[in-house]
Amino acid sequence: MDKRRDRSVAECGYPYGRAAYGMPWRKYTVIYRSVLMENLQYAANVAVGFFTYFTFIYIFIKLWGYLYRTPGELIAGYTREQMIWYVMMTEMIWFGSSAASVAREVSGDIRGGNIAYLMNRPYHYTLYVLAKYTGEWSVRLPMYAMLAVAIGAVMVGPVPGFSLAALPAMALCVVLGLTINAVFKMCVSLLSFWIEDATPFQWLYDKLILVVGTMFPVEMFPIGLQPLFKLTPIYTVCYGPAKLIVDFSPEKCVEILAAQVIYLAAGCGLMFLIYAKGVKKLYVNGG
Amino acid sequence: MSTAVKNQLRVCFLSLKYNLMREMVNKVTFLTNVLFMVLNNASILVQWFILFALREDVGGYTLREILLLWGLTAASFGLAHILFARAFSLSELIIKGKLDSFLVQPKNVLVSVITSATDVSAIGDLLYGIALVCFCRPGVGGFFLFFLFTVTGAAVFTAFALLLGSLSFWFVRMDLLQNQMVMSAVSFATYPDGIFNGISRFLLYFIIPVGMAVWHPVHLIGRFDFGMFLTLLGYVCLLLSAAAVVFYRGLRRYAPGSLMEARL
Repeated sequence: MDKRRDRSVAECGYPYGRAAYGMPWRKYTVIYRSVLMENLQYAANVAVGFFTYFTFIYIFIKLWGYLYRTPGELIAGYTREQMIWYVMMTEMIWFGSSAASVAREVSGDIRGGNIAYLMNRPYHYTLYVLAKYTGEWSVRLPMYAMLAVAIGAVMVGPVPGFSLAALPAMALCVVLGLTINAVFKMCVSLLSFWIEDATPFQWLYDKLILVVGTMFPVEMFPIGLQPLFKLTPIYTVCYGPAKLIVDFSPEKCVEILAAQVIYLAAGCGLMFLIYAKGVKKLYVNGG
Repeated sequence: MSTAVKNQLRVCFLSLKYNLMREMVNKVTFLTNVLFMVLNNASILVQWFILFALREDVGGYTLREILLLWGLTAASFGLAHILFARAFSLSELIIKGKLDSFLVQPKNVLVSVITSATDVSAIGDLLYGIALVCFCRPGVGGFFLFFLFTVTGAAVFTAFALLLGSLSFWFVRMDLLQNQMVMSAVSFATYPDGIFNGISRFLLYFIIPVGMAVWHPVHLIGRFDFGMFLTLLGYVCLLLSAAAVVFYRGLRRYAPGSLMEARL
């Protein structure tokens, strides 16, 4: 019996890391694949969350149904269908990514002391968490996407002017958005190195994303605030991907992708910096 | 009988006191949790300012009524989680066989279980709810009704969570459903009932008890009707009784785990 096959995901870094000497990304691919396979086994559990997703969408369908009083009316440049699809897409990203698991895991590892073991493994802890997270949403997101399409088709109608040809660009934008969100949530969680519980900061970050980018498109806010919001993660995490899905244009796509690349690079830099500083703090306290 | 009730209330009070003392060991974390929960709730107001910039009313509610709705929801949810936080995670206790330590105590099992934990951040919810109602200035009578309906709302949320949680005695994975149903109820409660109609409105008043927990009380604060007030109290008593009956029926099926646990 091959004992390596019985190792947990957390333990697989060492043997694969050694084998993958000179190919640093291979070990993260292995972690990703392991988590993906594990999540595929429990895909039915994801479906339990459909109820909450449906609740939110149902509320917004009713809310916008009340606020749009005449057919074809535009609010902030969006038709009723576009507005509801926008919310469905942002909520799909929110529910489908389950970025909260990243926050919980990192905070739990730091507070519980597990980090002392994980940081000595032959992988970078933050990339290990990101690889696991990617494996999780690779199962969740397609399921929520299918649910969103089904609800939209039955209760709202098609997205006006939706182009299937633009789907790959939209998908890329969604994937980058999910990754940026996880990176920033991890940055917040890494504050647990200094404060015992970073959860309250997670609430604020989540609410910023939820209120400003998820419930409404940025165009709903006063014109003076809109450029400011475009500088925050909101633009790259939820507004950008959802905007492309409901109102695609090649120029907008390039603009959003460029912003995402910049944000991802900056976010990763910040994440590595906080982690490096935090690890030093951990040494001082003795782990 | 009255001595037994007094003793039980004393135990509940002590339980709450020690829960809070335990949470306050780290004062910074305690205060951060409370303060940030207030900020967390307050951030949602942005949504309503945006919507009221579009229309004068949303679902027949003015901005003041929406604030009252939010205040009552936050205060009820907060009070329920301060006093009876364990009712919201009852499924977990049942599934993991952690009820054993409560069964051997010479006090009411249900009350001992649900008062055995306190959610600190819920203090932020309660404070936020009170702050909002102060902002709305509903008058002396309005304040009195607000506090009364905070108690009935907390009772409804707790009873609903207890009912769903008790289903874990019969069904597996009810923990997921309990959490989702309670959070859905809270989500519905923060939007005006005027946007819902037909069957959904009926369901939200009688099956998912959002209407009786929050919407109906908000209408009563605006325009008091004694008959409707009695209906509300009757509904609360009925729901609490149903929750207690289901819990004790389920408890007969409870199979203790081999978990060693001491409750001090």
